[in-house]
Amino acid sequence: MEDKEYISKELFEIIERYIKGNMTLKELQDINQLIELDADFKTKVEEVKTFIHGIEAQALKEKLDDFHEVAINQPDETPKNNLRYLNFKRIAVAAAFVIGLGSIWFFSIPQNEKLYAKYYKPDPGLPTTMSSTNNFEFYNAMVKYKHGDYKLAIKTWRELANKTPDNDTLNYFIGVAHLANKNVDSAIPFLERTVQTKKAFPFINDANYYLGLAYLKEGNTELAKQFLSKSNTDLSKELILKLSD
Amino acid sequence: MRKSIHALSQTELIDALKMNDSYILKQFYTLHYKKIEALVLKNSGTIEHAKDVYQDAFVTVWTHVKTDKFVPKNDTALQGYLYSIAKNKWTDVLRSKSFKNANKLNELTLTDVKDSTEDAAQEQDLKLKTAMAAFKNLGQPCKQLLGDYYFEKKSLKQIAQQFNIEENTARNKKYRCMEKLRNMVIAPKKQQLGR
Repeated sequence: MEDKEYISKELFEIIERYIKGNMTLKELQDINQLIELDADFKTKVEEVKTFIHGIEAQALKEKLDDFHEVAINQPDETPKNNLRYLNFKRIAVAAAFVIGLGSIWFFSIPQNEKLYAKYYKPDPGLPTTMSSTNNFEFYNAMVKYKHGDYKLAIKTWRELANKTPDNDTLNYFIGVAHLANKNVDSAIPFLERTVQTKKAFPFINDANYYLGLAYLKEGNTELAKQFLSKSNTDLSKELILKLSD
Repeated sequence: MRKSIHALSQTELIDALKMNDSYILKQFYTLHYKKIEALVLKNSGTIEHAKDVYQDAFVTVWTHVKTDKFVPKNDTALQGYLYSIAKNKWTDVLRSKSFKNANKLNELTLTDVKDSTEDAAQEQDLKLKTAMAAFKNLGQPCKQLLGDYYFEKKSLKQIAQQFNIEENTARNKKYRCMEKLRNMVIAPKKQQLGR
C-alpha cells in the first residue's frame, strides 16, 4: 500500500532535523518561512511531528507496566500508617547503621584531618591569558577563583553548567572551588559527576585525587582509598600507603 | 552510580523527561504512584483503576512536558501537576455514566469523557492516539528500530551495530519504517473513502 504522496527521504530528514532542533539559524529561518508560505508543507511537518511523538508515547506506555511492578512495592503513602506502625526492626537497623557510621567517623577523624591538611592544596586553576577565547565568562570566573573569591566563581560556573550539565571541566572546577571554600559536602557531587565521565578528560587524575581527599575529610577512608587508587599522581600513591598503615 | 531524582532540580528533571531518560522516568513513576493509589482507593476505586488512571496521567504529563505545555513554577511543581492530572482523571471517571452503571473501566470509558467537547486539541489528541496505535501494531524489526532511535535516542551508528548493518542502511530502513507506519495510519482512512 505505497502512498506516492509521501515526502522524499531527503525532505523527511530535513523535517526530522527541524523537529529535533538540529538546524543552523539560516536553515531554521528558511524552514519557518516555508511553513508560513506552504500550507501543504506545514501539514507534512505536523504529521512527522505527530508520528515521532506517537512512537515515543507508545514506547513509554509499553514501559509503564515494568515501572509499575516496582511502584506497587513502594511503602504506602497514607501518613496514618506511617505513624501507627513504626517498624521496630527498621528502626533497629537504622540505629545500628547510624552507630556504625558514627563510630567510623569518631575513630577516624583526627588522623584523617591531619592527612587532609597535609595533602590538600587547592587546584591552581587554568592559565587566564586573554586570548581570542569565546569562553569569557568561564575564564573571568577563573580569575575570581584564583583570587580566592570562590563563591563568585562557583556562581558563574553553575550558571554555565545549567546550560551544559555534562561539561566535565565545569563540574571539576565547581567541585574544587567548593573544596577550596571548605565546603566538602557540596564538592563531592560535582567531583563524582566528573569522575563518572565516559569521555577522555585531562584532569581525571586530579578529579579522582580531590574526590579521594574530600572523602578523607568526610572521614570515609574506604571511599577515599577507592578514588585515590584511580588517580595516578605520586601524591595519591603516597597517601594510600599512609592510609593503609 | 547515577544522579538520583532527589538530586535533580526541577529544570534538570524536565530535561531528563524530555530526553526519555528511562532511569529518571522510572523513579518519577514509582515515587508518586502510592499517593494516587491512596486517592483512588479512598474514593470508591480499585487497585486496577488506580493503575489505569495513573498510567494515563503519567503519559499526559510526559506529553505536556515534551510539548512545553508545562512550565515549572517551583521545586515540586511537576509532582503536584502529576497528582492533579491524575485526580482530575479520576474525577472524570467517577462522573462518567458508565462508571455509575458499574461498568468495568476501560479505554473507551476514558475517551468517552474526553470526546464530549470538540476542538483542535481534541483532534490533535486523536491523531496522536492513532499514531500510537499504529506504532503498537507495527511489526518487527521496524518497531524496535524506530523505538531505539526516537525513544531511546540511540544513534544510527549504535543501531547499525545492533542490527549488524551499515549505518546508511539503517538510515534508509528508518525512512522505510516511517513510511510503513504512515501507511498503517492512512490505510483505514482510504478504505473509508471507498478509494
